[in-house]
Amino acid sequence: MSRGWLLWLLVGLVVLDLAFLALPTLVVLIASFTPGTIIAFPPEGLSLRWYAALLDRPDFLRALWRSLLVGLVCTALAVPIGTLAALALARFRLRGGTALQVYLLLPFTIPLVVSGIGLMLVFGQLGWLGRVWPVGVAACVINLPFMIWAVAAAVNHLDPDLENAAQSLGAPPTHAFVTVTLPAVMPGIVTGALVMFILAVNEFLVSLMLVDARTVTLPVLVYNAIRSIITPDLAAVSAVYVGLALVAILLLDRLVGLDIFLRSRKS
Amino acid sequence: MSRSPGLRVLDALEGVRATLWPRPLAPLTPWAFLVPALLLTGLLVAALVPLADASLRQLDRATFRLDESWSLANYAAVLARPVYGVMALRTLGGALIVTAVTLLLAFPYAWLMVRTARPALRRLLLISLFLPFFIGQVVRAYGWLVVLGQQGLANSLLAALGLPPLTILYTFPGVLVGLVQYMLPFAVLMLAPALTAVPEEVELASAGLGATPLRTLWRVVLPLARPGLVAAGVVVFTLTLTDFAMPEIMGGGTNDFIASAVYDAFFQLGDPGLGGAIAILMTAVGSLAVGAVLALFGLGTLGYVEERR
Repeated sequence: MSRGWLLWLLVGLVVLDLAFLALPTLVVLIASFTPGTIIAFPPEGLSLRWYAALLDRPDFLRALWRSLLVGLVCTALAVPIGTLAALALARFRLRGGTALQVYLLLPFTIPLVVSGIGLMLVFGQLGWLGRVWPVGVAACVINLPFMIWAVAAAVNHLDPDLENAAQSLGAPPTHAFVTVTLPAVMPGIVTGALVMFILAVNEFLVSLMLVDARTVTLPVLVYNAIRSIITPDLAAVSAVYVGLALVAILLLDRLVGLDIFLRSRKS
Repeated sequence: MSRSPGLRVLDALEGVRATLWPRPLAPLTPWAFLVPALLLTGLLVAALVPLADASLRQLDRATFRLDESWSLANYAAVLARPVYGVMALRTLGGALIVTAVTLLLAFPYAWLMVRTARPALRRLLLISLFLPFFIGQVVRAYGWLVVLGQQGLANSLLAALGLPPLTILYTFPGVLVGLVQYMLPFAVLMLAPALTAVPEEVELASAGLGATPLRTLWRVVLPLARPGLVAAGVVVFTLTLTDFAMPEIMGGGTNDFIASAVYDAFFQLGDPGLGGAIAILMTAVGSLAVGAVLALFGLGTLGYVEERR
Protein backbone atom coordinates (compact mmCIF):
# COMPACT_ATOMS: atom_id res chain seq x y z
CA MET A 1 0.00 0.00 0.00
CA SER A 2 1.34 3.44 -0.83
CA ARG A 3 2.33 5.73 1.99
CA GLY A 4 -0.01 8.41 0.68
CA TRP A 5 -3.31 6.62 1.28
CA LEU A 6 -3.84 8.24 4.68
CA LEU A 7 -3.35 11.67 3.12
CA TRP A 8 -5.89 10.84 0.41
CA LEU A 9 -8.35 9.62 3.03
CA LEU A 10 -7.82 12.88 4.88
CA VAL A 11 -8.36 14.99 1.76
CA GLY A 12 -11.41 12.92 0.86
CA LEU A 13 -12.99 13.41 4.26
CA VAL A 14 -12.31 17.16 4.22
CA VAL A 15 -13.88 17.53 0.76
CA LEU A 16 -16.89 15.58 2.04
CA ASP A 17 -17.02 17.88 5.08
CA LEU A 18 -16.91 21.00 2.90
CA ALA A 19 -19.79 19.78 0.73
CA PHE A 20 -21.77 18.63 3.75
CA LEU A 21 -21.29 21.95 5.58
CA ALA A 22 -22.20 24.07 2.55
CA LEU A 23 -25.08 22.05 1.09
CA PRO A 24 -28.08 23.41 3.07
CA THR A 25 -26.82 26.99 2.85
CA LEU A 26 -26.22 26.88 -0.91
CA VAL A 27 -29.52 25.17 -1.60
CA VAL A 28 -31.44 27.72 0.46
CA LEU A 29 -29.73 30.57 -1.40
CA ILE A 30 -30.64 29.04 -4.76
CA ALA A 31 -34.21 28.39 -3.62
CA SER A 32 -34.61 31.99 -2.45
CA PHE A 33 -34.41 33.13 -6.10
CA THR A 34 -37.27 30.83 -7.16
CA PRO A 35 -39.58 32.60 -9.58
CA GLY A 36 -42.65 30.39 -8.96
CA THR A 37 -44.61 29.45 -5.88
CA ILE A 38 -42.90 26.10 -5.38
CA ILE A 39 -39.20 25.32 -5.08
CA ALA A 40 -38.02 23.24 -8.04
CA PHE A 41 -34.69 21.78 -9.14
CA PRO A 42 -33.19 22.76 -11.48
CA PRO A 43 -34.50 26.31 -10.84
CA GLU A 44 -36.86 27.61 -13.52
CA GLY A 45 -35.27 31.04 -13.51
CA LEU A 46 -34.18 33.81 -11.24
CA SER A 47 -36.39 36.26 -9.44
CA LEU A 48 -36.25 38.56 -6.46
CA ARG A 49 -40.01 38.36 -5.86
CA TRP A 50 -39.66 36.54 -2.52
CA TYR A 51 -37.26 39.16 -1.20
CA ALA A 52 -39.68 41.89 -2.28
CA ALA A 53 -42.49 39.93 -0.61
CA LEU A 54 -40.58 40.00 2.69
CA LEU A 55 -40.62 43.79 2.75
CA ASP A 56 -44.42 43.67 2.59
CA ARG A 57 -44.66 41.40 5.60
CA PRO A 58 -44.84 43.37 8.86
CA ASP A 59 -44.74 40.15 10.90
CA PHE A 60 -41.36 39.27 9.37
CA LEU A 61 -39.92 42.76 9.81
CA ARG A 62 -41.05 42.92 13.45
CA ALA A 63 -39.66 39.47 14.19
CA LEU A 64 -36.33 40.45 12.60
CA TRP A 65 -36.22 43.62 14.69
CA ARG A 66 -37.02 41.66 17.88
CA SER A 67 -34.26 39.16 17.15
CA LEU A 68 -31.74 41.97 16.61
CA LEU A 69 -32.88 43.47 19.92
CA VAL A 70 -32.40 40.10 21.62
CA GLY A 71 -28.88 40.01 20.17
CA LEU A 72 -28.10 43.50 21.46
CA VAL A 73 -29.40 42.83 24.99
CA CYS A 74 -27.50 39.55 25.13
CA THR A 75 -24.24 41.11 23.93
CA ALA A 76 -24.55 44.14 26.21
CA LEU A 77 -24.84 41.82 29.21
CA ALA A 78 -22.31 39.23 28.09
CA VAL A 79 -19.43 41.60 27.34
CA PRO A 80 -18.90 43.04 30.85
CA ILE A 81 -20.05 39.94 32.75
CA GLY A 82 -18.10 37.42 30.69
CA THR A 83 -14.97 39.58 30.46
CA LEU A 84 -14.75 40.11 34.22
CA ALA A 85 -15.38 36.42 34.90
CA ALA A 86 -12.73 35.35 32.39
CA LEU A 87 -10.20 37.77 33.91
CA ALA A 88 -10.93 36.47 37.39
CA LEU A 89 -10.62 32.82 36.32
CA ALA A 90 -7.54 33.19 34.15
CA ARG A 91 -5.67 35.77 36.20
CA PHE A 92 -5.93 34.63 39.79
CA ARG A 93 -5.35 31.33 41.51
CA LEU A 94 -8.76 31.00 43.09
CA ARG A 95 -9.58 28.52 45.78
CA GLY A 96 -11.99 26.01 44.22
CA GLY A 97 -11.12 27.13 40.69
CA THR A 98 -12.16 23.84 39.07
CA ALA A 99 -15.49 23.83 40.90
CA LEU A 100 -16.09 27.40 39.68
CA GLN A 101 -15.31 26.37 36.12
CA VAL A 102 -17.71 23.44 36.33
CA TYR A 103 -20.43 25.71 37.78
CA LEU A 104 -19.91 28.21 34.97
CA LEU A 105 -20.26 25.34 32.46
CA LEU A 106 -23.78 24.56 33.80
CA PRO A 107 -25.41 26.25 30.77
CA PHE A 108 -23.94 23.36 28.75
CA THR A 109 -24.88 20.52 31.03
CA ILE A 110 -28.46 21.62 31.68
CA PRO A 111 -30.52 20.68 28.60
CA LEU A 112 -31.83 23.70 26.69
CA VAL A 113 -35.42 22.47 26.84
CA VAL A 114 -35.08 22.29 30.64
CA SER A 115 -33.45 25.73 30.86
CA GLY A 116 -36.17 27.12 28.62
CA ILE A 117 -39.14 25.80 30.59
CA GLY A 118 -37.45 26.59 33.93
CA LEU A 119 -36.69 30.17 32.86
CA MET A 120 -40.27 30.47 31.60
CA LEU A 121 -41.51 29.57 35.11
CA VAL A 122 -39.02 31.94 36.81
CA PHE A 123 -39.65 34.81 34.39
CA GLY A 124 -43.39 34.24 34.83
CA GLN A 125 -43.00 34.78 38.58
CA LEU A 126 -41.00 37.95 37.91
CA GLY A 127 -43.63 39.21 35.45
CA TRP A 128 -41.11 39.25 32.58
CA LEU A 129 -43.00 37.12 30.08
CA GLY A 130 -44.43 38.68 26.92
CA ARG A 131 -41.50 41.10 26.54
CA VAL A 132 -38.50 40.92 24.25
CA TRP A 133 -35.57 41.92 26.48
CA PRO A 134 -35.88 38.92 28.85
CA VAL A 135 -35.27 36.69 25.81
CA GLY A 136 -31.92 38.50 25.49
CA VAL A 137 -31.18 37.80 29.17
CA ALA A 138 -31.99 34.12 28.61
CA ALA A 139 -29.82 33.96 25.48
CA CYS A 140 -26.96 35.44 27.51
CA VAL A 141 -27.38 32.93 30.33
CA ILE A 142 -27.33 29.87 28.07
CA ASN A 143 -24.43 31.05 25.87
CA LEU A 144 -22.22 32.75 28.47
CA PRO A 145 -19.54 30.00 28.28
CA PHE A 146 -18.70 31.15 24.72
CA MET A 147 -17.96 34.68 25.97
CA ILE A 148 -15.82 33.41 28.86
CA TRP A 149 -13.90 31.04 26.56
CA ALA A 150 -13.15 33.80 24.06
CA VAL A 151 -11.81 36.23 26.67
CA ALA A 152 -10.05 33.59 28.77
CA ALA A 153 -8.14 32.45 25.67
CA ALA A 154 -6.92 36.03 25.20
CA VAL A 155 -6.01 36.39 28.89
CA ASN A 156 -4.07 33.12 28.79
CA HIS A 157 -1.94 34.63 26.03
CA LEU A 158 -1.40 37.89 27.90
CA ASP A 159 1.99 38.27 29.54
CA PRO A 160 1.32 38.97 33.24
CA ASP A 161 4.60 40.92 33.38
CA LEU A 162 2.94 43.68 31.35
CA GLU A 163 0.48 44.47 34.12
CA ASN A 164 3.16 44.06 36.77
CA ALA A 165 5.42 46.45 34.85
CA ALA A 166 2.62 49.03 34.62
CA GLN A 167 1.94 48.76 38.34
CA SER A 168 5.59 48.91 39.38
CA LEU A 169 6.06 51.97 37.16
CA GLY A 170 3.44 53.60 39.35
CA ALA A 171 0.21 53.10 37.40
CA PRO A 172 -2.76 52.88 39.77
CA PRO A 173 -4.82 49.66 39.35
CA THR A 174 -7.55 51.29 37.25
CA HIS A 175 -4.99 52.85 34.90
CA ALA A 176 -3.24 49.51 34.42
CA PHE A 177 -6.60 47.79 33.83
CA VAL A 178 -7.83 50.27 31.23
CA THR A 179 -4.56 50.96 29.42
CA VAL A 180 -2.83 47.55 29.59
CA THR A 181 -5.22 44.70 30.42
CA LEU A 182 -8.28 45.69 28.37
CA PRO A 183 -6.41 46.47 25.12
CA ALA A 184 -4.49 43.20 25.45
CA VAL A 185 -7.64 41.08 25.76
CA MET A 186 -9.67 43.18 23.27
CA PRO A 187 -9.47 40.56 20.48
CA GLY A 188 -11.09 38.06 22.84
CA ILE A 189 -13.79 40.56 23.80
CA VAL A 190 -14.60 41.40 20.17
CA THR A 191 -14.71 37.71 19.23
CA GLY A 192 -16.94 36.85 22.16
CA ALA A 193 -19.26 39.79 21.49
CA LEU A 194 -19.77 38.82 17.84
CA VAL A 195 -20.35 35.17 18.64
CA MET A 196 -22.81 36.04 21.43
CA PHE A 197 -24.72 38.41 19.14
CA ILE A 198 -25.03 35.83 16.35
CA LEU A 199 -25.99 33.00 18.72
CA ALA A 200 -28.68 35.22 20.29
CA VAL A 201 -30.10 36.28 16.92
CA ASN A 202 -30.34 32.56 16.05
CA GLU A 203 -31.58 31.40 19.46
CA PHE A 204 -34.64 29.21 19.02
CA LEU A 205 -35.62 26.73 21.72
CA VAL A 206 -35.49 28.99 24.78
CA SER A 207 -37.20 31.78 22.81
CA LEU A 208 -39.96 29.35 21.90
CA MET A 209 -40.84 29.08 25.60
CA LEU A 210 -40.49 32.78 26.41
CA VAL A 211 -42.35 34.48 23.56
CA ASP A 212 -46.05 34.83 22.87
CA ALA A 213 -47.85 35.70 19.63
CA ARG A 214 -46.92 39.38 20.04
CA THR A 215 -43.23 38.82 20.74
CA VAL A 216 -42.29 36.10 18.24
CA THR A 217 -38.60 36.18 17.29
CA LEU A 218 -37.34 35.34 13.82
CA PRO A 219 -36.21 31.72 14.44
CA VAL A 220 -39.56 30.97 16.09
CA LEU A 221 -41.35 32.52 13.12
CA VAL A 222 -39.37 30.27 10.76
CA TYR A 223 -40.07 27.21 12.91
CA ASN A 224 -43.81 27.88 12.98
CA ALA A 225 -43.83 28.41 9.21
CA ILE A 226 -41.89 25.17 8.56
CA ARG A 227 -44.53 23.27 10.45
CA SER A 228 -47.30 24.51 8.20
CA ILE A 229 -46.08 24.55 4.60
CA ILE A 230 -42.75 24.93 2.83
CA THR A 231 -42.79 27.94 0.53
CA PRO A 232 -39.97 29.93 -1.10
CA ASP A 233 -40.54 32.94 1.19
CA LEU A 234 -38.83 30.99 3.97
CA ALA A 235 -35.83 30.56 1.71
CA ALA A 236 -35.62 34.35 1.44
CA VAL A 237 -35.84 34.65 5.24
CA SER A 238 -33.06 32.08 5.50
CA ALA A 239 -31.00 34.07 3.01
CA VAL A 240 -31.27 37.03 5.42
CA TYR A 241 -29.61 34.81 8.01
CA VAL A 242 -26.89 33.84 5.54
CA GLY A 243 -26.29 37.56 4.97
CA LEU A 244 -26.06 38.25 8.71
CA ALA A 245 -23.61 35.37 9.13
CA LEU A 246 -21.43 36.68 6.28
CA VAL A 247 -21.34 40.16 7.81
CA ALA A 248 -20.33 38.69 11.17
CA ILE A 249 -17.58 36.58 9.56
CA LEU A 250 -16.28 39.61 7.66
CA LEU A 251 -16.22 41.69 10.86
CA LEU A 252 -14.52 38.91 12.77
CA ASP A 253 -11.91 38.55 10.05
CA ARG A 254 -11.25 42.30 9.78
CA LEU A 255 -11.24 43.07 13.50
CA VAL A 256 -9.37 40.11 14.98
CA GLY A 257 -8.65 37.61 12.21
CA LEU A 258 -10.38 34.22 12.00
CA ASP A 259 -7.11 32.53 13.01
CA ILE A 260 -7.87 33.47 16.63
CA PHE A 261 -9.95 30.27 16.86
CA LEU A 262 -6.93 28.16 16.01
CA ARG A 263 -4.84 29.41 18.89
CA SER A 264 -3.99 27.04 21.66
CA ARG A 265 -5.78 27.80 24.92
CA LYS A 266 -2.51 27.35 26.76
CA SER A 267 -0.23 30.31 27.24
CA MET B 1 2.20 69.44 35.42
CA SER B 2 -1.11 69.39 33.56
CA ARG B 3 -2.52 66.01 32.63
CA SER B 4 -4.18 65.07 29.35
CA PRO B 5 -8.00 64.68 29.27
CA GLY B 6 -7.64 60.93 28.85
CA LEU B 7 -5.52 60.68 31.96
CA ARG B 8 -7.97 62.81 33.88
CA VAL B 9 -10.76 60.40 33.01
CA LEU B 10 -8.58 57.56 34.27
CA ASP B 11 -7.83 59.53 37.44
CA ALA B 12 -11.56 60.00 37.99
CA LEU B 13 -12.14 56.27 37.49
CA GLU B 14 -9.32 55.49 39.89
CA GLY B 15 -10.94 57.87 42.42
CA VAL B 16 -14.26 56.03 42.11
CA ARG B 17 -12.48 52.72 42.54
CA ALA B 18 -10.54 53.90 45.59
CA THR B 19 -13.78 55.05 47.23
CA LEU B 20 -15.95 52.06 46.37
CA TRP B 21 -13.26 49.41 46.56
CA PRO B 22 -10.54 50.49 49.01
CA ARG B 23 -7.18 48.74 49.20
CA PRO B 24 -8.12 46.32 52.05
CA LEU B 25 -10.74 44.79 49.73
CA ALA B 26 -8.13 44.08 47.03
CA PRO B 27 -7.85 40.34 47.83
CA LEU B 28 -11.57 40.05 47.08
CA THR B 29 -11.25 41.63 43.63
CA PRO B 30 -11.38 38.35 41.67
CA TRP B 31 -14.55 37.37 43.52
CA ALA B 32 -16.12 40.74 42.76
CA PHE B 33 -15.27 40.12 39.08
CA LEU B 34 -16.98 36.71 39.26
CA VAL B 35 -20.17 37.69 41.09
CA PRO B 36 -22.16 38.90 38.03
CA ALA B 37 -21.42 35.67 36.10
CA LEU B 38 -22.22 33.55 39.15
CA LEU B 39 -25.54 35.36 39.61
CA LEU B 40 -26.46 35.13 35.93
CA THR B 41 -25.71 31.40 35.87
CA GLY B 42 -27.63 31.22 39.15
CA LEU B 43 -30.75 32.02 37.11
CA LEU B 44 -30.40 28.55 35.60
CA VAL B 45 -30.13 26.96 39.03
CA ALA B 46 -33.20 28.93 40.05
CA ALA B 47 -34.91 27.65 36.90
CA LEU B 48 -34.41 24.07 38.08
CA VAL B 49 -36.16 24.70 41.41
CA PRO B 50 -39.78 25.01 40.16
CA LEU B 51 -39.20 22.04 37.83
CA ALA B 52 -37.89 19.87 40.67
CA ASP B 53 -40.77 20.97 42.86
CA ALA B 54 -43.37 20.21 40.19
CA SER B 55 -41.78 16.83 39.50
CA LEU B 56 -42.62 15.79 43.08
CA ARG B 57 -46.31 16.69 42.82
CA GLN B 58 -48.84 14.55 40.99
CA LEU B 59 -51.40 16.17 38.73
CA ASP B 60 -54.98 15.82 39.91
CA ARG B 61 -56.83 15.06 36.68
CA ALA B 62 -60.14 16.30 38.14
CA THR B 63 -58.98 19.82 38.98
CA PHE B 64 -55.83 20.01 36.80
CA ARG B 65 -53.85 21.20 39.82
CA LEU B 66 -50.72 19.74 41.30
CA ASP B 67 -50.91 17.88 44.62
CA GLU B 68 -50.19 19.72 47.86
CA SER B 69 -47.98 16.90 49.09
CA TRP B 70 -44.79 15.47 47.59
CA SER B 71 -44.51 12.00 46.11
CA LEU B 72 -42.37 10.11 43.60
CA ALA B 73 -45.44 9.16 41.56
CA ASN B 74 -44.32 11.14 38.48
CA TYR B 75 -40.94 9.40 38.42
CA ALA B 76 -42.64 6.04 38.77
CA ALA B 77 -44.97 6.97 35.90
CA VAL B 78 -42.07 7.98 33.63
CA LEU B 79 -40.16 4.77 34.34
CA ALA B 80 -43.30 2.65 33.90
CA ARG B 81 -44.20 3.97 30.44
CA PRO B 82 -42.41 2.07 27.67
CA VAL B 83 -42.86 5.01 25.28
CA TYR B 84 -40.35 7.04 27.31
CA GLY B 85 -37.93 4.11 27.44
CA VAL B 86 -38.04 3.81 23.64
CA MET B 87 -37.48 7.55 23.29
CA ALA B 88 -34.60 7.53 25.79
CA LEU B 89 -32.90 4.65 23.96
CA ARG B 90 -33.37 6.35 20.58
CA THR B 91 -31.89 9.56 22.03
CA LEU B 92 -28.95 7.80 23.65
CA GLY B 93 -28.20 5.69 20.57
CA GLY B 94 -28.54 8.73 18.32
CA ALA B 95 -26.20 10.76 20.53
CA LEU B 96 -23.55 8.01 20.48
CA ILE B 97 -23.70 7.61 16.69
CA VAL B 98 -23.69 11.38 16.09
CA THR B 99 -20.72 11.86 18.44
CA ALA B 100 -18.67 9.12 16.77
CA VAL B 101 -19.44 10.25 13.21
CA THR B 102 -18.94 13.93 14.04
CA LEU B 103 -15.54 13.33 15.65
CA LEU B 104 -14.47 11.21 12.68
CA LEU B 105 -15.48 13.98 10.26
CA ALA B 106 -14.19 16.84 12.41
CA PHE B 107 -10.71 15.52 13.13
CA PRO B 108 -9.27 15.64 9.57
CA TYR B 109 -10.90 19.05 9.04
CA ALA B 110 -9.39 20.51 12.21
CA TRP B 111 -6.01 18.90 11.53
CA LEU B 112 -5.75 20.26 7.99
CA MET B 113 -6.97 23.70 9.13
CA VAL B 114 -4.28 23.88 11.80
CA ARG B 115 -1.43 22.27 9.82
CA THR B 116 -1.81 23.61 6.29
CA ALA B 117 0.95 25.95 5.13
CA ARG B 118 -1.42 27.65 2.67
CA PRO B 119 -3.20 30.69 4.13
CA ALA B 120 -5.84 30.59 1.37
CA LEU B 121 -6.81 27.01 2.22
CA ARG B 122 -6.95 27.84 5.92
CA ARG B 123 -9.27 30.78 5.18
CA LEU B 124 -11.51 28.63 3.02
CA LEU B 125 -11.76 26.04 5.79
CA LEU B 126 -12.44 28.70 8.46
CA ILE B 127 -15.12 30.50 6.44
CA SER B 128 -16.80 27.22 5.43
CA LEU B 129 -16.91 26.36 9.11
CA PHE B 130 -18.25 29.67 10.40
CA LEU B 131 -20.93 30.15 7.78
CA PRO B 132 -23.08 27.23 9.01
CA PHE B 133 -22.00 27.82 12.64
CA PHE B 134 -23.45 31.33 12.43
CA ILE B 135 -26.69 30.12 10.83
CA GLY B 136 -29.09 28.73 13.40
CA GLN B 137 -30.42 25.22 13.68
CA VAL B 138 -33.93 25.99 12.44
CA VAL B 139 -32.70 27.65 9.26
CA ARG B 140 -30.28 24.79 8.58
CA ALA B 141 -33.04 22.25 9.17
CA TYR B 142 -35.14 24.16 6.64
CA GLY B 143 -32.22 23.87 4.21
CA TRP B 144 -32.22 20.10 4.70
CA LEU B 145 -35.97 19.97 4.04
CA VAL B 146 -35.32 21.65 0.70
CA VAL B 147 -32.47 19.22 -0.06
CA LEU B 148 -34.16 16.01 1.08
CA GLY B 149 -37.87 16.70 0.63
CA GLN B 150 -40.12 14.83 -1.83
CA GLN B 151 -39.54 17.43 -4.58
CA GLY B 152 -36.17 18.38 -3.18
CA LEU B 153 -32.73 18.57 -4.71
CA ALA B 154 -31.73 14.99 -3.92
CA ASN B 155 -34.85 13.41 -5.40
CA SER B 156 -34.77 15.69 -8.45
CA LEU B 157 -31.21 14.50 -9.12
CA LEU B 158 -32.20 10.86 -8.63
CA ALA B 159 -35.21 11.27 -10.92
CA ALA B 160 -33.00 12.85 -13.60
CA LEU B 161 -30.76 9.78 -13.39
CA GLY B 162 -33.78 7.52 -13.63
CA LEU B 163 -33.39 6.25 -10.08
CA PRO B 164 -36.19 5.73 -7.56
CA PRO B 165 -36.75 8.51 -4.98
CA LEU B 166 -34.99 8.38 -1.64
CA THR B 167 -36.90 8.47 1.62
CA ILE B 168 -34.56 9.86 4.24
CA LEU B 169 -36.60 12.77 5.53
CA TYR B 170 -38.76 11.87 8.53
CA THR B 171 -36.59 8.83 9.32
CA PHE B 172 -34.04 8.21 12.07
CA PRO B 173 -31.03 8.46 9.68
CA GLY B 174 -32.46 11.75 8.41
CA VAL B 175 -32.45 13.17 11.94
CA LEU B 176 -28.85 12.01 12.37
CA VAL B 177 -27.75 13.69 9.12
CA GLY B 178 -29.15 17.01 10.34
CA LEU B 179 -27.58 16.58 13.76
CA VAL B 180 -24.09 15.71 12.46
CA GLN B 181 -24.12 18.74 10.19
CA TYR B 182 -25.24 20.92 13.11
CA MET B 183 -22.55 19.57 15.47
CA LEU B 184 -19.59 19.56 13.05
CA PRO B 185 -18.55 23.22 13.60
CA PHE B 186 -18.75 22.83 17.41
CA ALA B 187 -16.48 19.79 17.24
CA VAL B 188 -13.91 21.40 14.92
CA LEU B 189 -13.78 24.55 17.07
CA MET B 190 -13.14 22.43 20.18
CA LEU B 191 -10.49 20.31 18.43
CA ALA B 192 -8.51 23.06 16.71
CA PRO B 193 -6.91 24.67 19.81
CA ALA B 194 -5.89 21.24 21.09
CA LEU B 195 -4.25 20.35 17.76
CA THR B 196 -2.45 23.71 17.72
CA ALA B 197 -1.00 22.76 21.09
CA VAL B 198 0.58 19.65 19.54
CA PRO B 199 3.88 20.89 18.06
CA GLU B 200 4.28 19.98 14.41
CA GLU B 201 7.89 19.00 15.23
CA VAL B 202 6.58 16.06 17.23
CA GLU B 203 4.78 14.72 14.16
CA LEU B 204 7.86 15.29 11.99
CA ALA B 205 10.11 13.62 14.55
CA SER B 206 7.84 10.59 14.65
CA ALA B 207 7.92 10.34 10.86
CA GLY B 208 11.69 10.96 10.83
CA LEU B 209 12.17 8.06 13.21
CA GLY B 210 10.45 5.83 10.69
CA ALA B 211 6.88 5.65 11.97
CA THR B 212 4.21 5.25 9.30
CA PRO B 213 1.70 8.10 9.07
CA LEU B 214 -0.96 5.84 10.58
CA ARG B 215 1.31 4.98 13.49
CA THR B 216 2.15 8.65 14.03
CA LEU B 217 -1.56 9.49 14.01
CA TRP B 218 -2.45 6.67 16.39
CA ARG B 219 0.45 6.82 18.83
CA VAL B 220 1.40 10.51 18.77
CA VAL B 221 -1.24 12.90 17.42
CA LEU B 222 -4.42 11.35 18.84
CA PRO B 223 -3.06 10.91 22.40
CA LEU B 224 -1.69 14.46 22.45
CA ALA B 225 -4.95 15.84 21.06
CA ARG B 226 -6.97 14.08 23.75
CA PRO B 227 -8.04 17.26 25.59
CA GLY B 228 -9.68 18.49 22.38
CA LEU B 229 -11.24 15.13 21.57
CA VAL B 230 -12.70 14.91 25.07
CA ALA B 231 -14.10 18.46 24.93
CA ALA B 232 -15.51 17.99 21.44
CA GLY B 233 -17.01 14.62 22.38
CA VAL B 234 -18.62 16.00 25.53
CA VAL B 235 -20.10 19.02 23.77
CA VAL B 236 -21.45 17.05 20.79
CA PHE B 237 -22.82 14.27 22.99
CA THR B 238 -24.66 16.55 25.43
CA LEU B 239 -25.98 18.88 22.73
CA THR B 240 -27.30 15.89 20.76
CA LEU B 241 -28.70 14.18 23.83
CA THR B 242 -30.82 17.22 24.59
CA ASP B 243 -31.64 18.46 21.09
CA PHE B 244 -35.19 19.38 20.20
CA ALA B 245 -35.37 21.17 16.84
CA MET B 246 -33.58 18.66 14.57
CA PRO B 247 -35.59 15.58 15.64
CA GLU B 248 -38.81 17.65 15.51
CA ILE B 249 -38.17 19.10 12.04
CA MET B 250 -36.13 16.36 10.34
CA GLY B 251 -38.11 13.58 12.05
CA GLY B 252 -41.47 15.22 11.51
CA GLY B 253 -42.77 13.87 14.82
CA THR B 254 -41.93 10.25 13.96
CA ASN B 255 -38.51 10.16 15.63
CA ASP B 256 -38.76 12.46 18.65
CA PHE B 257 -35.88 12.69 21.09
CA ILE B 258 -36.43 12.94 24.82
CA ALA B 259 -36.49 16.78 24.79
CA SER B 260 -39.78 16.56 22.88
CA ALA B 261 -41.24 14.48 25.71
CA VAL B 262 -40.53 17.31 28.18
CA TYR B 263 -42.05 19.85 25.82
CA ASP B 264 -45.13 17.74 25.08
CA ALA B 265 -45.74 16.95 28.77
CA PHE B 266 -45.84 20.68 29.52
CA PHE B 267 -47.59 22.09 26.48
CA GLN B 268 -49.75 19.24 25.15
CA LEU B 269 -50.56 17.05 28.14
CA GLY B 270 -50.57 20.07 30.46
CA ASP B 271 -48.84 17.99 33.13
CA PRO B 272 -45.96 19.98 34.70
CA GLY B 273 -45.40 17.18 37.21
CA LEU B 274 -44.67 14.58 34.53
CA GLY B 275 -42.70 17.10 32.43
CA GLY B 276 -40.71 18.15 35.47
CA ALA B 277 -39.83 14.53 36.26
CA ILE B 278 -38.56 13.88 32.70
CA ALA B 279 -36.66 17.19 32.80
CA ILE B 280 -34.95 16.37 36.09
CA LEU B 281 -34.10 12.81 34.98
CA MET B 282 -32.70 14.12 31.70
CA THR B 283 -30.59 16.75 33.48
CA ALA B 284 -29.32 14.18 35.97
CA VAL B 285 -28.34 11.60 33.33
CA GLY B 286 -26.63 14.24 31.16
CA SER B 287 -24.75 15.80 34.09
CA LEU B 288 -23.64 12.38 35.39
CA ALA B 289 -22.32 11.42 31.95
CA VAL B 290 -20.41 14.70 31.61
CA GLY B 291 -19.20 14.47 35.21
CA ALA B 292 -17.88 10.95 34.67
CA VAL B 293 -15.98 11.92 31.50
CA LEU B 294 -14.52 15.04 33.12
CA ALA B 295 -13.54 13.12 36.25
CA LEU B 296 -11.72 10.59 34.07
CA PHE B 297 -10.05 12.94 31.60
CA GLY B 298 -10.13 16.43 33.13
CA LEU B 299 -11.81 19.48 31.63
CA GLY B 300 -9.72 19.40 28.44
CA THR B 301 -10.27 22.37 26.16
CA LEU B 302 -13.72 22.65 27.74
CA GLY B 303 -12.12 24.44 30.70
CA TYR B 304 -11.82 28.21 30.58
CA VAL B 305 -8.25 28.11 31.85
CA GLU B 306 -5.49 25.56 31.90
CA GLU B 307 -5.87 23.12 34.75
CA ARG B 308 -3.19 23.14 37.38
CA ARG B 309 -2.30 19.76 38.72
